[in-house]
Amino acid sequence: MTLDIESGIRCPKIDMHCHVWLMDGWEQSADQLVASGDMLGITEYWCSSIIQQGILAPFEDVPPHNNTILSAMARHPKRIRGWCFVIPGHFQDAIGEAERCLDAGMIGIKLYNQYRINDPVLHPILELASERRVPILQHAGYPVPEHRASQPLISHGIHFTEASEKYPDAILIHAHIGGGGDWEHTVREMRQASPNVYIDVSGSNLDDGQVEYAVSELGVERVLFGTDGTMAGSVGKVLDADLSEDEREHIFWINAERILAQQGAAPTEPRTY
Amino acid sequence: MLIDVNAWLGTWPFRSLRDNTPDALITRLDRSGIDKAVVSYIEAAFHRHPQSANERLARDVEPHGDRLIPVGTINPLSPHWEDDLASCIDLGMRGIRLFPQYHNYQTDGAESRSVVQACAQCNLPVFIPHRLEDVRQHHWMDPGQSLDLAQLANLIAAVPSATIIIPNARPLARSPLWMREDLRDLNWYFDLSLAEIHYGLHKSTNAMKDLGYLIEEGGAGHILFGTHLPFSYAGPALVKLAILPVDEEMLEDIKYRTATKLLNF
Repeated sequence: MTLDIESGIRCPKIDMHCHVWLMDGWEQSADQLVASGDMLGITEYWCSSIIQQGILAPFEDVPPHNNTILSAMARHPKRIRGWCFVIPGHFQDAIGEAERCLDAGMIGIKLYNQYRINDPVLHPILELASERRVPILQHAGYPVPEHRASQPLISHGIHFTEASEKYPDAILIHAHIGGGGDWEHTVREMRQASPNVYIDVSGSNLDDGQVEYAVSELGVERVLFGTDGTMAGSVGKVLDADLSEDEREHIFWINAERILAQQGAAPTEPRTY
Repeated sequence: MLIDVNAWLGTWPFRSLRDNTPDALITRLDRSGIDKAVVSYIEAAFHRHPQSANERLARDVEPHGDRLIPVGTINPLSPHWEDDLASCIDLGMRGIRLFPQYHNYQTDGAESRSVVQACAQCNLPVFIPHRLEDVRQHHWMDPGQSLDLAQLANLIAAVPSATIIIPNARPLARSPLWMREDLRDLNWYFDLSLAEIHYGLHKSTNAMKDLGYLIEEGGAGHILFGTHLPFSYAGPALVKLAILPVDEEMLEDIKYRTATKLLNF
C-alpha cells in the first residue's frame, strides 16, 4: 500500500516538544511556528525557552524565559502551551518558579542539561511534578564522546530508568530520540524503566526504523510526537514508520492527551479528522 | 513521476539497514510512490579501490533498469582512476559519486577538482554527500564527518562547468554555499532529505525558515527530490514535497524534470 502523505498531514497532532525563544522577534517566531503547524496538522505546541550549554545561570536569568512562554501562550491561547524551564540547583527558587508557571497555566516542567535526571538535586522537582501530576521533559541523548564533552551532564536512558525507580509515579519524558546520538543505546537503557517514562520522536536525525524501535522497546503508549523544530521531518518519520493507524494515532495524539488528563487538562481543541 | 536522487544499496557497517537490496528497495519505493531512484553501493565509500563495487552495482541494477539508476564511485587516490571513470561510463553509470571524508582528500583540493573536471567533460553529474550518518552518533571506526559547505562552494567555483549534487545538506539558506552569490547561477543542487522548510530550531528570526528563505531568495531551482533511503525514512522528504511553497511548474522540476536533465535520460 502506498503511503498516504496528504491524509497523514491532515491527521491532527500534538507537538509536545517545541520552543519559542527569549529573543528579539519572539512574536514573529511564535507566529511562524503556528503557521508551520497549520500546514502539518499540528493543533497545539508545548513550548519552552531554555538556557542551554549546561550553564548554571543565576536564578534571575530564568523567569524571563518563562515569561516569554507565558506571553506566547497569551498570544496563541488555542495553539501554544508552556513548559516551565527551571535549573534544579536553584532549589527553593526553582520550586517557586515552577509553581508560579504551573499556576499560570503551564502544563509541565522542562529541564536541560545542567543536571542529570537522577541527580538528588532534582528530588524536590520530581516530588512537585508527581504531586501535581505534570510531566517533566528533559533534554537527553547518548552522543559520541566528542559531542558529549560540551554537555557532560546530559541524561540518557539509564538515568531515566534510575530516576523512575525512586519516583515510579513521576511522568518523565526523554527528549528527542532523533536529537543526535546513539538512539538505540539510550532506548535500550529504558527497558526496565517505569511505565511512566516516555520518549519523544523529535530531532533532526531521521534514521529509518527509529520510531518502530522505540515502539518495540517501550510500547506504543510510551512514544510521543514532538518536533523540536524538525517539523516536516518529524511528521514524515511517523507517517513512514511501519505501524498501524491506531499506533500512529497514539503517537500523534492519544498519548499526549492521556498525559494532559492526569492533571485534569484536555487538548486545546478536540480531535477532529 | 518522482525521481529520488539520494538512495543506496548495500551494507552500512555500524547499523542494520532495512530495504537495502534491489528488490527490497524497489518495494520501498513502491510504498513511497517513488518511480525511480539513483543508487550506489554504500561499501564503495569504504573500499580503497571502489571499481569492483561499481561493477557489482551495474550487474545488480541491470535487471531493474526501469527503476534504479546506477551512480559509480571514484576514489581519486586510486591509481588510474581515469580508467575507472571510463569503465563507469561503459557500464551505464549516470553519474559519479565522491566521498572526500571517507577516501581522505580535501573537498576542494586538486584530487576533487580533477575528477569533477573530467566528469564535466563527459557531461556526468557528480554526487558529493554532505554526510552519510549523523556525526553525533558516529561509530569510533567511522571516519565520516559532515563536509564543509564553504569547501564545496570553492569546488563549484573551481569547475564552473560541472554539475554537482550535494545530498543530505542542512542547513542551507544561511550557509557559505548559498551566501556565495557568484555561484547562484551555476549547476549545483541539493535534496529535500534533511533541510526543513517553514520553521527550524534557530534563535534568530533571520534563520528560522531554512528552505523557506532560500526559496524566497530565488533558490528553488537548486532543489531536487531525495530521501537518503534506506538510511533515512522517505516520509520526511515526501512531506516536504507536499508543502513546498513553489508553483506547479517548479514542483514538477523538483519532482523529476531537473533530475531527468541532469541524469541525461
